[in-house]
Amino acid sequence: MSEYYGIDVDDVFNTMASRFRPEGAEGVDAVFGYDITEKGKWKLSVGQGRMALDITEDLSGCDVVVRVDEQTFAGIIAGKLDAMAALSANKMKVEGDFNLFAVTGKIFTKYVPPGQEVEPEQELVMLKRTISVNQRFATGPIMGTFLQGLKEKTILAIKCPGCGRLQSPPREICAPCRIRNDSWVEIGPAGEMRMLEYCYYASPDPLTGETRETPYGAIGVLLDGCKDNEVFWHLLNPQQLNDVRMGMVMGDKVVHGTRLRPVWSANRTGSINDIKYFEIDE
Amino acid sequence: MQKDDFSKSYVVEGKLALPYTYFAGRVGSRFLTTLRDHKTIMGVRCDTCSKVFVPPRQTCERCFSDIRDNWVTLENKGELINFTVVREADKHLPRKTPYILGLIRLDGADTPMVHIIEGIEPDKIAEGMRVRAVFAGESEGTILEIAHFEIVPPCGMRSRQISTNS
Amino acid sequence: MGYKKRNRHVGIVGIGETKFSSHREDVNQPEMIHEAVRGALDDAGLTMDDIDCVVHGNMELFEMVHQPDMWHTLGTGAYGKSAFRVTTGGTTGGTLVCGADNLVASGMYDVVLAVGFEKLQEGHTTGGITNMADPLWARRLQSGALTAQAAVKLIAEFGEARARRAAMTYRIIMDMHACKNPNAHRAFHLDWDQMEDLMATSPPLIGDLRLIHMCSQSDGACAIIFASEKKAREISGKPVWVRDHITVHREETLNLHNNYYPIETTHSFAAKQLYGRNGIDNPLEYFDVFEMYDPSAWWGVDWLRDFFLLEGDEHIKMVENRDIMIDGKMPINPSGGVIATNPIGATAIIRVAEAAKQIRGDAGDHQIPGNVEHGLASSFGGTMWTVLTMLEKETNW
Repeated sequence: MSEYYGIDVDDVFNTMASRFRPEGAEGVDAVFGYDITEKGKWKLSVGQGRMALDITEDLSGCDVVVRVDEQTFAGIIAGKLDAMAALSANKMKVEGDFNLFAVTGKIFTKYVPPGQEVEPEQELVMLKRTISVNQRFATGPIMGTFLQGLKEKTILAIKCPGCGRLQSPPREICAPCRIRNDSWVEIGPAGEMRMLEYCYYASPDPLTGETRETPYGAIGVLLDGCKDNEVFWHLLNPQQLNDVRMGMVMGDKVVHGTRLRPVWSANRTGSINDIKYFEIDE
Repeated sequence: MQKDDFSKSYVVEGKLALPYTYFAGRVGSRFLTTLRDHKTIMGVRCDTCSKVFVPPRQTCERCFSDIRDNWVTLENKGELINFTVVREADKHLPRKTPYILGLIRLDGADTPMVHIIEGIEPDKIAEGMRVRAVFAGESEGTILEIAHFEIVPPCGMRSRQISTNS
Repeated sequence: MGYKKRNRHVGIVGIGETKFSSHREDVNQPEMIHEAVRGALDDAGLTMDDIDCVVHGNMELFEMVHQPDMWHTLGTGAYGKSAFRVTTGGTTGGTLVCGADNLVASGMYDVVLAVGFEKLQEGHTTGGITNMADPLWARRLQSGALTAQAAVKLIAEFGEARARRAAMTYRIIMDMHACKNPNAHRAFHLDWDQMEDLMATSPPLIGDLRLIHMCSQSDGACAIIFASEKKAREISGKPVWVRDHITVHREETLNLHNNYYPIETTHSFAAKQLYGRNGIDNPLEYFDVFEMYDPSAWWGVDWLRDFFLLEGDEHIKMVENRDIMIDGKMPINPSGGVIATNPIGATAIIRVAEAAKQIRGDAGDHQIPGNVEHGLASSFGGTMWTVLTMLEKETNW
């Protein structure tokens, strides 16, 4: 029987039933798989405030599977290793719903090896909140002109009288020239894709407080009428993330990206959401 | 100077919503859990400056000494040294307006603490009044373990609770 | 560019750092800051009475506390003193150093304490950074500081295999450095034989930017005490001199999501200005150590070319040949850098602190061998700022 950090991994699983917290398992209805390398596999089913644990060879049908070596697992249980660090260092792998895996922390009381005294730790107070503050954003005349253009299904760019470059969304001043941009040009509505940011990471959107759905694609599109650095930043139809190609200019080397066109929202109010996203136009 | 055409300007409604976490630390946690579990207010004392700080903190800001272990138990009553009446409503406030925010120096403390005063009309409140903590039943682990402070009538009789909107 | 010269020399005489971690539930914000302030005062052999002015900084949105410098007087010792507050995003720490240096160099103050901190566990890093974007447009599109553009660029120029290996080599080297720094937040003890596995299986965040490449989210504080030349020589046996610094904001965020090269980046522009006005033609030869603000392994590799004014694949070779290791020709981030430790408001001041420690020769296990005389430290902020600072062992420039 091997031990790491003074912990026998078999005992961790054998005591799961006695350490189970029905109040922590409230609302949880899932099957967790543990694959402890060269040690064993366990399947934990949680539902209706109850749990069932099986030693098994077959982890199919699990909502999430954790694959980790015995030493790392023991270290995490002992509180000596950080789970996120282990994940980043690839010492632990999580397959399936990652957020579900985090739930296991609440379902059991902390494992204490037999014979070890439970040190009374000072309770450290922690407050979790979401601040939500109403805001009103003034567009000003320049951004206002542009956004109202979207309402009319028109994409406008502002032009610098000095260097002639276009900016969309527009800025009042051309920064390098330090003069006012003073005329408008209609661009697109279609163009070629330059950059795709294929986002797997779900982060909270500060405009709504909600977590963004993933995966999504933020894109830079070179709309017709624009050149060089004059890209337009928006979103791609998430269904088409794997079907598009990035365009590129690197010195003399030019690669043309997938042609895209905007999909307009039915209900347009003069905001970025007036374009729902861009989709393939080939 | 160019004159802008503001006919195209308008306002977009939005919001800022982000999650956050606050850690009270060891000193803060002891203060809050003592409020919650023992209905007792504790502070810390700087022996160099002869000052008792409530709420407690780890370092004396004047002489910079470490005072985190010099715990002092305080009375749950003290003097109202100042106050303000909050009249402008906002969804983030802890009470419906108008309500009274007081600076209370507990007996034995050298620093005042802020809390809500209830049981008295805003036009009757005055500096110098004696007040007493009323503990809450909720276990939030915040300063609202004390629900509010009530006025202690000068002759020592129990004050009649005037119901307020909470 | 309108820059004149300093009135007098400014020396770093005290450095204090907390141990960086993601589990500082035992302290609140001022208590955590106090650890670094106490460390700096002890290092300099000073008390709070000796400090004339306090410059304080962090990125407010993370902890959701406004004007935290007020509350933090409990920990900074700023009670009753002159004080300034700086908040410039990721460059906050660097701007703190610039501010403190300017205050002392001008002659207005003799001894200034600069303290940067962040308690990232108290907020949401990516959500917070997204909130800096234009609310009418980019806020809907940006995902904090996460971007795969650097990866796209390196892969386009050098090919998938070579670029990916370079980024992972850089990452492993940074981790090896972090393992020698007891204050570093994340030290995974990565080894070369994990390279293939990490490249293939580390969870992707955006495109080719994987979890393993990306910087840390840490809690911590760092304090540095700056003194006028006369005072510095009295206080410290080995003051580290601030030679020069520059702050540049040069790239427009609305042009970022592009695949159009080459572009003059904010880093390369800043470097050319700073080296030019200091008569440095060959930065790779001149500097002995570079603490670079590297938010991801991809950027770390890419920016070597910008900061050292290199061409072609010289920067990739620097990484492939492991010249950037502590005992290499051009040590980069002997502290482990930003990937290992990133308490945002403190990160950039830590770069200066670590470069200063190298010059003093007391960085301990992660000390560069030999005589370290000329140090460089960079800061980076999400809206494409650069702050670049030069440190010297002697005042003989």
